[in-house]
Amino acid sequence: MGYTLNRQQADALLAALSKDYTVYAPKRFLNQGRYSATDVIRYAEVERFEDIVWQTKSDYPAKEVLTPIQQALFYFTEDEYRESKGPKKPILILARPCDINAQHIQAKIYAGNGGYTDLYYERVREMVKFAMMECCGGDDTCFCVSMGTNKTSDYSLAFKFSDDGVQVQVTDNAFASYFGDLPQTDYTPSFVEENELKVTVPDLSDKEVRKALKSHPMWQEFNSRCISCGACTVACSTCTCFTTRDVIYGDNPEVGERRRVTSSCQIAGFDQMAGQREFRSTAADRMRYKVLHKFHDYKARFGDSHMCVGCGRCTHRCPELISISATVNKVSAAVNEIKAGLAQK
Amino acid sequence: MNHDINVKKMRLNCFRQSKVPGEFMLQMRVPGGMVDAKYLSVIQHIAETWGDGNFHFGTRQTFDITGIKYENIPAVNEYLETYIREVDEELCEVDMNMVAHEPHPWDPKSGYPTIGARNISGCVGNYHCICGNINTFELARKLENIIFPSHYHIKINISGCPNDCNKAHLCDFGIIGVSKMTYHAERCIGCGACVRACEHGATRVLSLNEGIAKIDKDPCCCVGCGECVRACPTSAWTRGEKPLYRVILGGRTGRQTPRTGKMFLNWASEDVIVGVLKNWQKFSAWVMNYKPEYLHGGHLIDRAGYKKFKELILEGVELNPECMVAEDIFWHETEYRSNFNVKPIEMHHTAGPQA
Repeated sequence: MGYTLNRQQADALLAALSKDYTVYAPKRFLNQGRYSATDVIRYAEVERFEDIVWQTKSDYPAKEVLTPIQQALFYFTEDEYRESKGPKKPILILARPCDINAQHIQAKIYAGNGGYTDLYYERVREMVKFAMMECCGGDDTCFCVSMGTNKTSDYSLAFKFSDDGVQVQVTDNAFASYFGDLPQTDYTPSFVEENELKVTVPDLSDKEVRKALKSHPMWQEFNSRCISCGACTVACSTCTCFTTRDVIYGDNPEVGERRRVTSSCQIAGFDQMAGQREFRSTAADRMRYKVLHKFHDYKARFGDSHMCVGCGRCTHRCPELISISATVNKVSAAVNEIKAGLAQK
Repeated sequence: MNHDINVKKMRLNCFRQSKVPGEFMLQMRVPGGMVDAKYLSVIQHIAETWGDGNFHFGTRQTFDITGIKYENIPAVNEYLETYIREVDEELCEVDMNMVAHEPHPWDPKSGYPTIGARNISGCVGNYHCICGNINTFELARKLENIIFPSHYHIKINISGCPNDCNKAHLCDFGIIGVSKMTYHAERCIGCGACVRACEHGATRVLSLNEGIAKIDKDPCCCVGCGECVRACPTSAWTRGEKPLYRVILGGRTGRQTPRTGKMFLNWASEDVIVGVLKNWQKFSAWVMNYKPEYLHGGHLIDRAGYKKFKELILEGVELNPECMVAEDIFWHETEYRSNFNVKPIEMHHTAGPQA
C-alpha cells in the first residue's frame, strides 16, 4: 500500500498516529549546537510535519529513544524499592536505515550478550515500531554501503519526505487504518546504493597481526589529537556502554533512585578498577580499543556484522576533526605493513 | 615646499597629516573589520594611483593608505564615493545626510563628512570563530548608523566572546558577546569535561557534585563564555536562545591616564545596546556644552561622573529582565605622574551646560 500526502495530510496522519503512538523523529533544536548560531538535531517527540528534520542527518542517533542518556532504573525508600515504569504507549520511531540496523546491533548487546536480557532495554524495544525514512543520501561522513547497513526491511511504514509532503509505504497492516479512504499511489522506498566515502575494513583474523597492531605507532597521534571527550561514542548509533549511579534525594540517604547513565570508553577512568588500575590509560589506547571494537571485536564475538553502521556521526561530532573512516584507512595501511613484515620473517 | 593646509579640516575628512608636509594618510571605515574582499582592489587602486603604493592595517581596522598628496585628495574623495555608498550607506544603512542626528547635506564627492565616531572594530566573531557567541560585524553594521556620522568621539570595540581578543577592555564602549547557558541535566553524563574547561579557560564556576554526578554552578561568577558548551560531549550545556552582551566602559590608552574599562552592563540585550548608544550623542553634547571637541568618550564620562553618565545614557532605555547595571564604577588608572589629578582648580574641566 502506498499513499502520497500533502503537508496538511501529513500533519493529520501525525496527529492520528500520536493518539496511539509516541512518535519520535529527528528534530531541530535552535542554537543548541556546540558553536554559537548552530543547531542540534536530535530525537524528540514530534507533533507537526514541519518538526521532522528529514533533509539532513541528525547529530545524535535514534538510540537515544530506546536507551536515553539517563534513565531511572528503580526508586528506593528505606528497605523498599519500586521499579521505574516503562513506556505507557507504543513507540513509533522515524529512522534512516543505518539507525534501524543499529538497533539490531544494540539488541545483541542488551538482549543477547552473556545469556542475559536487559529488562530496561527489552521493555522499550518490544514497544517500538520503525517508520523508515528514505535516506536522501547522507553526507560526506556516511559509509553505510561499505558496512552493509544501507538497506533494511525492518519497518512498518516507509516515508519519503519532500517540501510538499510525504510519500508513504505501509508494510504493517496495523497502520492501514490511518489512511482511510485516501487514494493509493505507488511508492516503494529506495536505498542509498553508493556513498561518496568508501571504507575497506582490514582483515584482522590473524592473532599475530592483531598483536602487532596493538603496539603499532599509528595510534600515537591520538595522544595529541584526541581529547578523550567521548562525543564520538555518545553520537555513535551502536555504542551501548553505561554506568549506574545512585542518587540520594536531598539530605535523606534512605530515599533515592538508581540511574543508568551513558558512559564512554573514551573518557579517562572508564576502565578504572579497584586499586585505581586501568587497562587503557592513554587517549591512543582508548582510541585503539574503540576502533578495534567497532571493526573487529564485535564481529568476532557475534559473527554477522561489524558493530559500526557507517553513519559517520562520530566523525561529524568530533571537535578535534578526527575521522573514523580516515582512521580505519590508517589501520589498513598499518595492517598491510605488519603483514609484509611478518611475511619476511 | 610652501603649504597652507588646514590639517584639522583634513583630519575631519579622514585624512591624517603625514610627517612629510603636504602628504596625508586616508583612513577608510570598515565597520566590524569585515567587508567584501573585492574592496582590496579599491585599496590597491587608491594606493597605486594617488598614494605611495603601500597600505597599512589601521589599528582600529580601517584601511589606511599612506602618502596621498594634498592636491590629489579631491580625486581620492571622488573615487571613494562608491566605497562609502556601498559600505556605509547600503551595508550599514547610514544616513549620510545627517551629522549627530541633525540634517547636514552630504556632498558624495567630498569623502567622509567626519572622523568623529571612530571605526567600530571587531574580532571575526561567530562568523568563523569556534569561541564566538555573536556575529560581531553584523552588530557593528547595526551600530554604525547610530554613531556615524558624528563629530563626537566614541571608540567601540566588539569582541565575540569574553576572551576579548578585540580588547573591549581598552576602549570607550567595549561590547562582548556572552550567553546565558542552559543546563539539560537529563543529558549530562557527569564526565566533568565542562568543569575542567571552565577551570582551565574561564572562571571556575562549575563543580562536579559527586553525590549525584551532575554539575553545580555558581551563576554569579559565570562570564558567559560558552566554554562549557564547547566541551560538552552530549549537548547537556547549550547557549541561551538569544545572544546577550556585556559592556565594558571607559577603557583607554593614551599619554595621560590609560586604564582598563570596567563592567557597565551585563547580560544586556541587543535592544539595550542600541538604546544606550542612541543616547551617546545627547550625553556627549551635554557634557561638552554642545560644542564637540577632540576628546574621547571615556574622558566625557570622567567629567560628568559615572552617575550622571548612567542617568543620561539609560534615559528611555528599557532594560531586559536579565540585564545588570553597575551601580558605580571605580576605574584604576596608570598614573604616569603621581597625583596627576591634583592641580589648580582653574585647570579643572567642566561638564554640562555652562552659563
